[in-house]
Amino acid sequence: MSAKRSRKPASPARKPKARTAWYRGSKLLDVLVLGAWSMVLFRYWITGKIFLLLHPDYMWLANGAAIVLLGMASFKLFQKKTVNQAPASHSTLLPPSVSSFILLAVAVVALIYTPRAFASETAIQRGISDSLTLTRAQPQRFVRQMSSEERTIIDWIRTLNVYPEPDAYTGQGVKVSGFVIHPDDWPEGYLMLSRFVLTCCAADAYPVGLPVQLAVSRQAYAPDSWLEVEGKMVTATIDGQRQLTIEPTKLETIPEPRNPYEY
Amino acid sequence: MEKFSNGLTLFFSLLVEAIPFLLIGVAFSSLLLFFVDERTLIKFLPKTPLLGAVAGSLMGVFFPVCECGNVPVARRLIVQGAPTSVSIGFLLAAPTINPVVFWATWVAFRDQPEIVFLRVGFTLLIAVTIAWVFSHQPDMRPLLQPAVARQMPKLRASAPVNPLLRSGTFLLQTDGTTLKMDDPAVQSLIASVPAKSMAVKLQLAIDNMVQELKELGAVLVMGSAIAAFVQVAAPREWILALGQNFVTSILAMLLLAAVVSICSTVDSFFALSFAATFTTGAQLAFLVFGPMIDLKNIGLLLTLFKPRAIFYIFVLAAQLCFILTLFMNFYVS
Repeated sequence: MSAKRSRKPASPARKPKARTAWYRGSKLLDVLVLGAWSMVLFRYWITGKIFLLLHPDYMWLANGAAIVLLGMASFKLFQKKTVNQAPASHSTLLPPSVSSFILLAVAVVALIYTPRAFASETAIQRGISDSLTLTRAQPQRFVRQMSSEERTIIDWIRTLNVYPEPDAYTGQGVKVSGFVIHPDDWPEGYLMLSRFVLTCCAADAYPVGLPVQLAVSRQAYAPDSWLEVEGKMVTATIDGQRQLTIEPTKLETIPEPRNPYEY
Repeated sequence: MEKFSNGLTLFFSLLVEAIPFLLIGVAFSSLLLFFVDERTLIKFLPKTPLLGAVAGSLMGVFFPVCECGNVPVARRLIVQGAPTSVSIGFLLAAPTINPVVFWATWVAFRDQPEIVFLRVGFTLLIAVTIAWVFSHQPDMRPLLQPAVARQMPKLRASAPVNPLLRSGTFLLQTDGTTLKMDDPAVQSLIASVPAKSMAVKLQLAIDNMVQELKELGAVLVMGSAIAAFVQVAAPREWILALGQNFVTSILAMLLLAAVVSICSTVDSFFALSFAATFTTGAQLAFLVFGPMIDLKNIGLLLTLFKPRAIFYIFVLAAQLCFILTLFMNFYVS
């Protein structure tokens, strides 16, 4: 395994000049790696793209890391000579320069690539149909008296989770926003208005959704476009299943919100 | 293209979530390196394998590191000559048995406190058992990566060579054994003896932090890339379809724990999203097994152990986890 090559501590035999150059080079690389990652985290923070990646509860950690990394980068930049003690010939899986280049390359990709919110294709792939049972239990949510128009999609799903009979909600007012999914096995007159729910980061995002009954073909509303729907609840039988469905009185296209997830 | 974009988003999401914890981990590890003398600490640790295993497993209380952060600390312990049982116990238990993780699990499972306590209990039981098994191999060197093994102090001459036939310069130790001076480990011991000023120590600590951050960061990048790829490529329902039955739900969660590689500090929130579909035993399996072994930290463990040792730990942990949580499914819940 070539990775066994351990880093040579600057050998005393090496000429002082070459040693200084080597030292400067590796120091510069460290500064670049730390600085680039700090920039990546600052970019997510400032542009708000962090909302696409993390649950708000953990954002301070990433933001704090941005500051700490910046501090470490400046420490490295202004550090005079390192004290001559690399922690006794560090054992590495990868040679340090390879690690640095991997990290630097990924940071550059992160600086160029703008994360995108998950969309309908992912929702279908992650299985939206049975997601009602996947939602986490949060009974304290129901203590609050909430008018039905104030409920978000996830609030509706949680309510349904506790009392699943769709007829119980017939006639209740509803106002929710989400993105459009065209489930394959649904008739043309129905679309799914959906949101991803995050519990910690994008890795565990799972979709929840409510069917919307349309007067026209769903082709009028492209998949992944964002809608705000106002209307009232009815029960419809879609694809052989009785489901709580929105009968809209108002359907409005909205821009993708800054924070597309619900929690 | 959509998949690729999702994969990248997942990948960066995992990284952005893990980097702060990695920072905390390497910070603890580096401060430990320069401000805590493990050799003193190790002296205080119980020498008997079983007590050592318990002590090692509980050390996480003082080092709140997740599974990205505990490998460097464990490596430090091993290099400084901690007994096998202590280091393995620490390696397996520290990501779960520490205040930060306990608090996070408590927040997530407030309405099912038994999960919080069983998580700690099962982890302790498994870690102590595995550490105890490994302590029957007092010399860890054959299990370690050669680079790590070389750094370990050879405080006792391992080969039964007649002491009169050895050449070189030796130090006589209090217990009558000898220490060979040109051994690289001894050299580093000798070199690190002089006490340094606070400022120098702090500088060294930060330098070390940068070093470990780069090294473990690169591995984390690769692990996250694999985890993101598998998540995009393998449909989740496919994994979840197994989740109804007592046995397959546990197996599915063990697999999910190994694949998703989520940090132990936040994995309870992830597990919570399966609370409704999976058996309690399966959730526990996820919470206990995930922090011990997953795709991401296999990369980190490879910096320390040979693949064979990781395989042993993996198999033992998975089996114990499976048996305990299956018992839980059948007789408790």
